[in-house]
Formats: sequence, structure tokens, C-alpha cells
Amino acid sequence: MDVNQYLEIFLDETKEHLENLNTQILKLEQEPEDSDTINEIFRAAHSLKGMAGTMGYKRMQALTHDMENVFSEVRNGTMKADSNMIDILFQCLDALEEYTSTIQETADEGTNDNQQLIDQLNRYLNPGEKKENSKGKSGKEKKDAGEEGFTGKWTDIKIGETERLVFSSAKAQGKSVYGLTVYIQESCLLKAARAFLVYKAVEERAEIIVCSPSAQDIEDEKFDLDFSLLVVSECTLEEILGVTEGVSEIERVVGAPYECEAVPVEEGGNAPAVSTSAVQTTQSQPQTQTQSQPQTQSTPAKTNDKKTGGKPVVNRTVRVDIEKLDVLMNLVSELIIAKNSLVSASNTDGVSSSGFNEQIEYLESVTTNLHESVMKVRMVPIESVVSKFPRMIRDLSKKLDKKMELYMSGEETELDRTVVDEIGDPLMHLLRNSADHGLESAELRAERGKSPVGSIFLDAYQDGNNVVIEVRDDGNGIDVQAVKNKAIERGVITPDQGDNMTEKDIINLLFHAGFSTAKEISDVSGRGVGLDVVKSKIESLSGEVEVKSQLGQGSTWIIRLPLTLAIIQALMVAVGGEKYAIPLGSIQTLEDISPSDIKLVQNKEVINLRGSVIPIIRLSDELDIESSKAPDENLVVVIVKKGENLAGLVIDELRGQQEIVIKSLGRYISKCKIISGATILGDGEVALILDANALI
Amino acid sequence: MEELRVSGMNNIGEMKTEYDTIQYIVIKLGDEQYGVDIKFIDNIVRMQHITRVPRVPDYLKGVINLRGEVIPVMSLRLKMDLEADEITKATRIIILKLEQHGTIGIMVDEVKEVVTLTMDEIDKITYDGKEDKNVFLTGIGKHDNELISLLDLNAVVMDR
Repeated sequence: MDVNQYLEIFLDETKEHLENLNTQILKLEQEPEDSDTINEIFRAAHSLKGMAGTMGYKRMQALTHDMENVFSEVRNGTMKADSNMIDILFQCLDALEEYTSTIQETADEGTNDNQQLIDQLNRYLNPGEKKENSKGKSGKEKKDAGEEGFTGKWTDIKIGETERLVFSSAKAQGKSVYGLTVYIQESCLLKAARAFLVYKAVEERAEIIVCSPSAQDIEDEKFDLDFSLLVVSECTLEEILGVTEGVSEIERVVGAPYECEAVPVEEGGNAPAVSTSAVQTTQSQPQTQTQSQPQTQSTPAKTNDKKTGGKPVVNRTVRVDIEKLDVLMNLVSELIIAKNSLVSASNTDGVSSSGFNEQIEYLESVTTNLHESVMKVRMVPIESVVSKFPRMIRDLSKKLDKKMELYMSGEETELDRTVVDEIGDPLMHLLRNSADHGLESAELRAERGKSPVGSIFLDAYQDGNNVVIEVRDDGNGIDVQAVKNKAIERGVITPDQGDNMTEKDIINLLFHAGFSTAKEISDVSGRGVGLDVVKSKIESLSGEVEVKSQLGQGSTWIIRLPLTLAIIQALMVAVGGEKYAIPLGSIQTLEDISPSDIKLVQNKEVINLRGSVIPIIRLSDELDIESSKAPDENLVVVIVKKGENLAGLVIDELRGQQEIVIKSLGRYISKCKIISGATILGDGEVALILDANALI
Repeated sequence: MEELRVSGMNNIGEMKTEYDTIQYIVIKLGDEQYGVDIKFIDNIVRMQHITRVPRVPDYLKGVINLRGEVIPVMSLRLKMDLEADEITKATRIIILKLEQHGTIGIMVDEVKEVVTLTMDEIDKITYDGKEDKNVFLTGIGKHDNELISLLDLNAVVMDR
């Protein structure tokens, strides 16, 4: 079978399952008794095994098979999850991840059997015995338990008014209603496929009215080893049982006539109508996706009643090719450009008819909406990135021999897909940094009267047009003096410079390339490659990092990222006859300043604006161009903000606010730091976008 | 828009390479003729308004809007240490697509014609030391008793 075309789906889903397993196993460690978690783990492992088997990855399948056996024992209550076992399971997950990445690169799973892990798992399954024995025995046990379990579960199915109507009308037509429960063999790899065959076989003889779990769930393999059907048929029960049991890998099919309270059937033309609707239901079940949301994730009988309160296990996602989105995005860009030309046309004509303006307004609302909805498609919750962190902190905790706990909030905060993909590494750096440098050892914590377990917080939230992600710890904080000494020692600054620097400046030295204050280089961090990478990565995403720290109390790393990257609101300004755009997000206020208000401090121009001293940057100097204004004229100053710093940009003229599409200047002109990109104006001219952050 | 689409010619170029010929677009800078390998050319546009970009080397003239894309434009003259461009009706911007550097435009005085050179019409240049101008050339082509300096586009576009 050519499975290459499914490779992408396989990789996507495998990653999803692995992520899920990671979180669930962590949860299991905390609540070893929680049956929901165990069930969820079991299901994920099982799907993994099935998928690996279908794709022909035998080694991966073997490993997941043994993992599944362990989970199954845990689920049956014959075994308890302890920390040692969780460790092995995590190692297994790592091995699986390795397989996955090998597959991604070479479409082959490699040659690592991970026999050691498999042996370890088997030792768990059956302490002291050999592999074959353990397998056989556990298999047999399950069979024994199973025999008694073959009950007709269709009685649990809740039926609605329509179904009842269908049943009674069928009975009136001399047909019988049967309940069937199909048990699939445990060794079956493609349960969904088997279920589908059963479905087909039954459909030849009967009409399937109700299916539990829903047809959609069965198709997605979201069921255990059995499923139940309610069918209407003219055949006898034996005939139906015969054909279904004829499907291979089916353990057993239990069936019996189904009784329900009769509903009076209206005579005449109504009955056929009902039966047609029944046919439609039947057809739509296996084929279309319009089925109701899954009410049950597995068969009702096997799961305990603790279903409530859990979060939805499966993320309903739409996978859209990023390229398609980009095309859509470009279309929107062009639409906006078209709108801008209309606007400029109306301005130059001078004759503005009201109809024309109406059109523009309409076009404007359309483009804004289109933009918003496209942006939304591109937005994904940061959950996909942060969900791997609890596991990482757990590993770090063991490795560093420090007790720590990670508290996360705001995982549902959404960011542009491209940003989310990139933000994982910087966040990981910061968390590791907090775990290694930030948190003190348990003894020191006790001495300082802190709880022996260190806390690391990861909070994400939206703040205006930005998304803020904070990594906070209650550790030692940054020792400014130590940083200063180190910086002098490394030659990053001179001692004189060090004396003149504010605390904040010194802390910012941490982002300097090749700077690390860890006394020893550890496995985790200390090579000084972390923070400058973090900074440059986040700046490449048009974001910024900031640190706040109090010695002895802990430190907070604040990452600010723009919500959208492609279309922004900007203030158009003119400097010396050239047009520039300043992103509205960084603008604080606009001021009209008389030249006499400009004072000199340390030979730099500043203004005193409502009590705060703000440095002045003359854009004409920065942009190497002559200002078109006479020196005695009042200055137009745009006050921009970067973090907590303000600066005033002197411009010649304001040209109004506009929605602009950001275009990259291309790799070729990437060296100009103060320009973050370009945009195309309504008249087709290119205007450059000033990066206020780089100017300050 | 008045552009010269060359994608069609591109195909012919590919076909002919089997017979060891290369097509060049011949451009003029002052009195000298230069050849630009046609397979790197996306299209050729007339001179248009160039938006200056501050704080870049002077041979980078700025950026233009090419059907909604922002493309950097450099002056071939300034890059080769010739006198600054004098913009006339004949001035053109040749849009190049290079694997390493992406899309970039180069300003030239005039675009003359397309020539097909066979391998024996091309003399490879051997370098004695590094004379500035020679670094930008891959060879000299001979066509109709005229000499065409063949440009090494990657060297032209590369930063100094």
C-alpha cells in the first residue's frame, strides 16, 4: 500500500497524540487514580499504535504496543502508576518523538529498536518473568475478564422521539428492531476499518438507526473495543449476527430484539415520510461529518461515571495550508491598496460626490472585516507551544535536584501562527533560565524562609494590540552587582562605564551576546547563548523583552508581541518631502513644540513635557535628509513609547492615519535598522515604515 | 504597463542550452556594452519613482513598487564606481531573480537587444590580481564584431 500520501497526516496526528500523552502522563503522576486520565492515555497510545501499524513502522508499533499493555494494566487497576514507571513512560515518549522526527526527515523510522525500553516495560507488566510469558498471560487474563463482559450494551443507548417514531413505524410495517453490540478483538489494529466493515455488512441487511458511539466517533477511532447499533430489518437476528461475525478480527457480536415503548403511528401518507427520513439518517451517518458532537469519548459502559468537569479531549482543529492563507492575505492586501487608491483619487479630484464616499466607506468596512476574519484564521492558541513545558520543568527538577512547580495561565491566548511557531524556543530558554539561575537550592530557600518548592509562573494575556507573555519565578532575582562585575571581567563594559550605568542598564547587559553569570556551566544553561538569542528572536518577531527583578524576591521576564504582523494602523508623516509611516501602536501623543522649549541636557536635545523629560530625535538627521521647515517654526513632535521609555520624533508634517500593509524590504536591504519595512500607498508610491523601537 | 516580458524567451534559452548557447540581454552603461544572462531576468521595467532608503550604501538607490511587491533597486553605475546615473528616457530597471539574494532591480542606461552566444564566442576571463571592475565579469562575448562584457550577477549584487 502506498502510504506516503498519508505521511503528513500521520506526522501531524502523531505529534498531537504525543503532546496529549505528555500532558496526560504528567497529570497521571499527580492523580494516579484518575480514570479519565488513564482512559485518555490509553486511547492516545492505542491510536498511536494503530497509526504506526498502518504506516508500516514496526518498531514504533512494537514500542507503543508494550506501552499500551502497561496502560491497560493500569486502567484495569492491576497496577499502580508510580514515579519510576512514569519515568520509563516518559523515556518511551522521547523515543517515540525520536522515531517521529526521523520519519519526518527520512520517511523511515530508523533502526533503533529501543529494546531496552521494551524490556523495562515488560518487566513492569510481569516482574521476574520473560517477555513471552508476560504477554501471553496478560492477554489471557484480559480474555477471561472479557468473556463475562460480552453484554448487550445497546440497552444503554438513549433514543429520541424521532428514532422511537421510526421504530414503531417499522414495526407497523412488519419489520423487527434489533439491538447489536459488536466486540472487536483486542489485537485489532484498525478498529475503525473493522467497524466500517461491520457497518457495511449490517447495512446490506438492515437499516442502522442509532449508533453508539456516533458514526463520526467510530470513524475517528474514538471508541474502545465495542460499539452498539440499533437496526431495523426484515431479516432475522441470526442472519444479521451471521454476517457481522463473518468480518474478521471481530471477537463477538451480541444481539437481541429491541423493545421500546410504542408511539402511535399516524396512518396514511405520514408513515412513508417517516421511513424516508430514516433512510436519510442512515445514509448520512457513515458518510457525512454532520453528526452531532461526540457526547461520549469511549463506550459508556467501560468508562466510569466521572466524565463531567473534564476539558474536551480532542481539539477540533481546521488544518489549513499556510500557503493558501498567504494567498488570501495577499488578496486582502491588494484590496486595501485598491481602497487606498480610491481614497487618494477622491482627495485629488476635489469633486466629492456623496455616492463615491459611500462606496469608499463600504469598501473600508469590507476590507476591515475581511482582514479581521483572515487574521482570525491565522490565530492559534499558544497552548500548542506551552503544553510541553510542564514536562520540561519536571525533567529539569530531577536533573537540577531542585523542587519546582510550574503554574501556567492564559494558554488560550491566541497569536499569529507564525509567531506561535517561533516563540517556543525563547520561552524554553527563559524557563530554563529561571529554573537554573533563578531558583535557589532547597537549603537556601529554607534559610530565606521561602517554601522549599520553587514556583515558576508562565502567564499569557492580551494587552491592547499586544500579547504579553510573562515568565516569573520566586527565586533569587538578578544580582545587579554580580552582573556588573562579570560584565567588567568579560570586557563588555569598562569599570567607569559600569559606575555610570543604572540598574536597568546593567540588567539589560544580560542580553549581551556571550554573557552568562552561572558560576559553573551546567547541562541546562550557562553557556551564555540563551538570552541574546531570546532577544534577537523576539525582536525578529517585532516584539520586545523586558526584565524586572528584585534581589531575593525573584525576577519577571516580560515578552511583548504584536497581535498581527501583516496589516497595521499607522500615522503617515512627511520628513523633508519623503513620506514615512509610524506604527500607531508605538505612538503615545502628538505635540506642537516651540523651538524655545527645547533644552540641552548632556548636549542632547530634550523637552520637558508635562513634568517628564523626553529626549528629542530629529528624524531629518536620522534619515539623512534636509528638513523642509525653517528653524524658527514650531516643531511637530510625535511622542513614541518603547516599554517605559519615551522619545519625541521631530517630523515636518502630519499626513493622517492609514491602514497599511507591511511589505518586507527583502533580504537585500535588511541592514537598515531604523526601517522595519515598507508599504505601498494609494498612488503606488512606496513609503518606508519607521521602527520606533530602533530609534529610541 | 510598458514592460518587456521575457519569460517566453526564457524557454527558448533553456532549449538552446542543449547546443551550448546562452542568451544575453545587452545593456549599455556609457559607451560600454554589458551582457546579462537572460535566465536570471524576471522582467525589465521603465524608470519609475524610487523611494530612497536611508542609511544604506549609496549604490542602493532605494525601493520601487513592482505590482504590489517592494523591490530594492541598485545603480549598476555606482556599484561599478562609474559616474552617477543620468536618468533619460532610455533608462531601464532590470528585475533580477537570484537564488541567493532574492529579487532585486538594477538600473542601466539602456537595454539594447537580446543576443545568443555560443560557447566559442565567449572568452573566459582570467584574473591577474583583482582589478575592481573585472571582479564583476565572468567573461567577454564576441558578437557582430562588438565586445560584450558578461556580468557575474552574483558578484554585482553581493555586498562589498
